[in-house]
Amino acid sequence: MNESLINPFTLSHPTAVQTSLFAGATFAKFDPTGRFIASAARLAFSVQIWDLETRAPIRWLDGHVKAITNIDWSRNSRYLLTSSRDWNAIIWDLSSPCDPPQRHGSLRFDAPVVSAYFHPKNSQIILALLATGEAYVCDLRKQNRSRIELLETITDEGIEEEENNGQGVMRSPMTVARFDPTGKNIFVGTASGSILVFNTRTKTMIARHKISGAGAMKGFDFAKSGRRLVSNSSDRTLRQFILPSYSNPPTDTELLEQSQPPFLDLELEPTHRFNDPINRTAWHAMCYSPDGDWLAGGAADPSGHKIYIWDISNDGQLASPLDGGREPLLHLHWHPTRSLLASTTNMGNILIWHHPNPERWGAFAGGFEEVDENVEYEEREDEFDIEDEEVQFQRKMKAEEEEVDIDTIVTGAQAAVLGGLGTLSGNMGGAATPIGTGPSGNYSMDIDKLGSGMGDDIEAAWAEEEPDTDIRGAWKMKVIMDSEEASEYY
Amino acid sequence: MDPLAGMDDSSTDDDTSSQATEDDPQVPENQAPPPATAPVPPPVPAAGPREKPHYALRHTLRGHTQSISAVKFSPDGKLLASCGAEKVVKIWSPETGEFLRNLSGHTQGLSDISWSSDSVYLASASDDTTIRIWDVETGMTHKLLKGHTKWVFCLNYNTVSNLLVSGGCDGDVRIWNAARGKCMKTLHAHMDYVTAVHFNKDASLIVSCALDGLIRIWNTSDGQCLKTLAEGHDAICQHVQFSPNSKYILSTAHDSTIRLWDYQTTRCLKVYKGHVNAKYCISACFSVTGGKWIVAGSEDHKTYIWDLQTREIVQVLEGHTDIVVAVATHPSQNMIATGSIDSDLAIRIWVDPPVGGS
Repeated sequence: MNESLINPFTLSHPTAVQTSLFAGATFAKFDPTGRFIASAARLAFSVQIWDLETRAPIRWLDGHVKAITNIDWSRNSRYLLTSSRDWNAIIWDLSSPCDPPQRHGSLRFDAPVVSAYFHPKNSQIILALLATGEAYVCDLRKQNRSRIELLETITDEGIEEEENNGQGVMRSPMTVARFDPTGKNIFVGTASGSILVFNTRTKTMIARHKISGAGAMKGFDFAKSGRRLVSNSSDRTLRQFILPSYSNPPTDTELLEQSQPPFLDLELEPTHRFNDPINRTAWHAMCYSPDGDWLAGGAADPSGHKIYIWDISNDGQLASPLDGGREPLLHLHWHPTRSLLASTTNMGNILIWHHPNPERWGAFAGGFEEVDENVEYEEREDEFDIEDEEVQFQRKMKAEEEEVDIDTIVTGAQAAVLGGLGTLSGNMGGAATPIGTGPSGNYSMDIDKLGSGMGDDIEAAWAEEEPDTDIRGAWKMKVIMDSEEASEYY
Repeated sequence: MDPLAGMDDSSTDDDTSSQATEDDPQVPENQAPPPATAPVPPPVPAAGPREKPHYALRHTLRGHTQSISAVKFSPDGKLLASCGAEKVVKIWSPETGEFLRNLSGHTQGLSDISWSSDSVYLASASDDTTIRIWDVETGMTHKLLKGHTKWVFCLNYNTVSNLLVSGGCDGDVRIWNAARGKCMKTLHAHMDYVTAVHFNKDASLIVSCALDGLIRIWNTSDGQCLKTLAEGHDAICQHVQFSPNSKYILSTAHDSTIRLWDYQTTRCLKVYKGHVNAKYCISACFSVTGGKWIVAGSEDHKTYIWDLQTREIVQVLEGHTDIVVAVATHPSQNMIATGSIDSDLAIRIWVDPPVGGS
């Protein structure tokens, strides 16, 4: 709410390291409220929660016996989902007053879990990807309790081809699985370089996009609007796509009639390709800024800690390379609302990058304003006219008649709506995206506008059946402090 | 009030009927409904003279032996804490007016106290240059915060209560990690006693004011000064705070004036006058539980309540026999606590009975 006072110019991307946290981590992610960071410890197989304001660890989540592969926060940060090579995914409740917090739930699979994500609208729906290349949607709600595998639809021609080759029906292993920001669709990347789109409710495939020349998919990230996707693949290139609008899946009766539901088979052409033309370094991670105007890519450079920032609003030009020293980068994540980046080094340190504001010394003098250039001052015609004190007083009293509002709190989402920014559509403005829609999003691309049809309402209604207990403001993080000597470090 | 409303009724009736007769003399028969509905709107203009508070004394809490400097309701509204020049914090029940316990440990007098948002901890600022964070339930010191080089004059928690900000008589503002009790940042903020510090709602900003006459706004995360407000002349500001939604700041100054500022545009929006405040650090506060009021103590031994919008004094609470320096409003009920300095030494609790009560 104070971005305008803190930074009177446009929100820029981070440029310098502000602090580093000695976390011993393999990766670190901000929570949706932007107050915490969760880091996965390399040696202890535990998760640490850090308070971003005090830069101190406040909670430890101990439960896995092998390396943690992914962390996901629920939309209001109450629950945390960790996936691990020990074949488990654990849900943690951070409002739990005991230390370490008790598991809220756990899911056991038949193979190491590569990633697990919460549905953006209901933390009881979980998408898990296994090392064997299978993806499951696990619904923990009482009414819908199920675990359904996502299966790529193989067309008839495909089957014939496969038979000609003397092989059975082979589906390409899945290497990435993510919900889109609305939770309506699931995007799956495969080892053969395609992006499959599934409907979350029906679990049917609704689209397949072949990405020519991409190789195996390694990662996805969505801009908040959900219309833009950036993919990382084994050909060492980041590709940005503008996603088409997907038709709604056929109704159940139609499904019965057809053994193979139709899907959209479309080759997607990237709007931008980002790569390193000289060293051909691969990318470990990439992340959009909250407003979607910037894209940060973390280079898998073994000799240094390099982050590249591209200006998406300016045709994807390289804005600046950031150098974070000698420790190679493993992971990177952008703060959900502010101009902050967290990048993790291979030594386990988390670097917090920020955009330093130049010190404004003029701020120390009352009623004084700094200007960048000399301004030719033009005196108003009546500027030094002597005015009747009575008139002046009357005018002042009149100005004071104006009503003030001292206790209505305008949230980010409301501010965006009031500001007429229009980046939110009906189903985005709900509880699912309470953050990141602040006044910073002055720039909005037309493509970011989401069409909300009847189908979206069905999906949203389905996801919001049996709502979870992750309600904003209805819970509080219990802060645990370790022993006195450890406190000396922080 | 009622006769006036009646007058309004009749006049509007006359107007409508006269218009109707001009248009068409037969219509008045059909005009039967308007007189029926007409009595409904007038209550709105009749309510024009805004509702006023009717605070009445409920309890007088005696127990302090030296001047009181601050009173604060706990955020859950169940407790009232007070402090003064006598080294202890006293905890009271605002409902019954009974004294509950002392929090003792400081070696010098106290200037300010602040509750954590869960009402579990209380921080106190003392002239012994330390801040203590108390576990109110047990009465034990939870943390001792050392770092100020002179008397600590004011302090406040942020909304999530992981940070504490304090101001000292050396002109420094310090930001503390409340859970660890360690100083995170020192801002060399002012040239004179820092008399008030306050976080905005999301703790991104701190406002401070000092006897050097300036109000400054700071960025919490990097400690930069963002703005300086000054009234210019003899208006030495001695208490400042953000409004509940953090859009404005309220300041009290030694020219017997309370001002509401829009700090984004550096404009003074409202001026509240009528009380006496030329020498002591007297705090003011917002009251939002019933009507929207501004409440402040005064050097004429009274407590004044202004209407936020019209800037009129709507009630004066009399009862104290010395200068009222401390006021606090209850977080959810129409309740005000006031504290007075030497020779009175009482805390008075005032309540505005709900409609239909009393």
